Amino acid sequence: MKRALALLLLTAQTPGGPPAKVAASIARLFGPGARVDTLQVDSGSVLRVSRADSLLGFAAVGNVLGKDQPITFLVAVDPTDRLKDVDILVYREPYGGEVAYEPWRRQFRGKSARDSLRVGKEIRSISGATISVHAVTIGVRRVLAQLTAWHASGAIR
Amino acid sequence: MRTLVGWGLFAVMAPCPVRVLPAQERTTVGGYGEVHYANPTGPKTPPVVNLARFVVYLAHSFDDRLAFRSELEVEDAKLEGGRPGGEVALEQAYLDYRVAGWITLRTGLVLPPVGIVNETHEPPTFNGVERPGFDHDVIPTTWREIGVGAVGTVPGGSGLAYRVYLVNGLRADGLSAGEGIREGRQEGRQASFANPSMTGRLEWARPGVKIGGSFWYGGTADTNSAVGTGTFGAPVALLSADARYDNGPFAMRAVVATISVSDAEAINATYGQSVGSRIAGGYLEGAYDLLRLFAPASSQKLNAFVRHERYDTQASVPAGVTRDRSLARRITTVGVTYKPTWNTAFKGDYRLLRNAAGAGEGEVLSLGVGYQF
Repeated sequence: MKRALALLLLTAQTPGGPPAKVAASIARLFGPGARVDTLQVDSGSVLRVSRADSLLGFAAVGNVLGKDQPITFLVAVDPTDRLKDVDILVYREPYGGEVAYEPWRRQFRGKSARDSLRVGKEIRSISGATISVHAVTIGVRRVLAQLTAWHASGAIR
Repeated sequence: MRTLVGWGLFAVMAPCPVRVLPAQERTTVGGYGEVHYANPTGPKTPPVVNLARFVVYLAHSFDDRLAFRSELEVEDAKLEGGRPGGEVALEQAYLDYRVAGWITLRTGLVLPPVGIVNETHEPPTFNGVERPGFDHDVIPTTWREIGVGAVGTVPGGSGLAYRVYLVNGLRADGLSAGEGIREGRQEGRQASFANPSMTGRLEWARPGVKIGGSFWYGGTADTNSAVGTGTFGAPVALLSADARYDNGPFAMRAVVATISVSDAEAINATYGQSVGSRIAGGYLEGAYDLLRLFAPASSQKLNAFVRHERYDTQASVPAGVTRDRSLARRITTVGVTYKPTWNTAFKGDYRLLRNAAGAGEGEVLSLGVGYQF
């Protein structure tokens, strides 16, 4: 796990700002022209989004295993740690791609780390996409909790 | 979560701005299975326990686009020469090439995308110990054949997904009165490719909703000119529609299908069968999670369900066949499914097996456990 993580981080860091897909996702969620800085925290990194002097929010990219492929997603929060949106950046499996549909992702909006975000309760599932639905929900929950904790501790500001 | 062999278990990576994971070969192992207890009513029908299915899912990614996926199944626990029962079979084995998000090319032993259970057959995904009778006698699950095709989602967030395949055909010599097209399947074993057939599906999804339509069309004559000639000789045409709804505590699903065997008369004359010229039916199932009433905070589920199936493998018969009304089946199943997690299930149900002739009817009490990972 640790080795895999280190390997991933080693190859994943992109010098000189976020990759195009992440940048496009940030622009969609926070509006065009927002300034993006990469903050290094512990073992990961967080994107801080701001315009002029005001903080618009934070975003982070996570990976979670679906049936047999990783699903790469982005979680964006506003300055009060409320979830703005979830974006599926790369979906690699032939089934379960419905998690990228807006009506499903929309269910996460406005949630905070205090919400339990359980499939079948706060988050409705999609038949035939059960594995991906559970995987992405767990992934979003963890990234949201991590961002909230880092923000509360002042690790990101 | 599945296990990545050689990588250990990884669930969520720490947040990091990564667009595409490095191209890396990796092997994934998963599986599903179910154990059944069945106790039919009546004398001299002792209860039977059976390890109905044990399936290993094995997948390997060669790079970011090319992957192999398979399911190897052992049915009824054991296979031994000279003894009845038992089967070892590949349920799926294919290569996927992901061209883009909206299209993945696939070739190998694939599942015709017909109905609900054929593609999504892991025991925790359906209520009832046994699969519905309809998914045995009308849609012959687990149906798999060899061919090529494409799967994907229609771009633009429309909620539409499709699958389409060209595969080997069914064989007329396996068609029967009671099980319809079931034994006409070739299942990837030295299959005749004399009658390439088309199958496909279009489905639409929203959170909690999925609606789909499926088809199969292809000849069955193989090379027997007494049954039919040409690629589409003695065709089987299948149309099916299905719907699933799930709002948390309440869930329902429904499937209907109609299968036309237009040259049933020639098939019957050649093989001495009483195959119907039309096979049709469906089922409707409703379920409610009782834990919503007793333990609303729980993430476990205790689904009480009722399912009613009506199907007839001789909905129409060709000249020379007298309809056997006992084939017009009406099966009602009531039961519960306890799911401590979304991918494990403990099941119990009671099935009332009825038919239009009122002959050979019975009841079965069943218990079962199932898992997938």
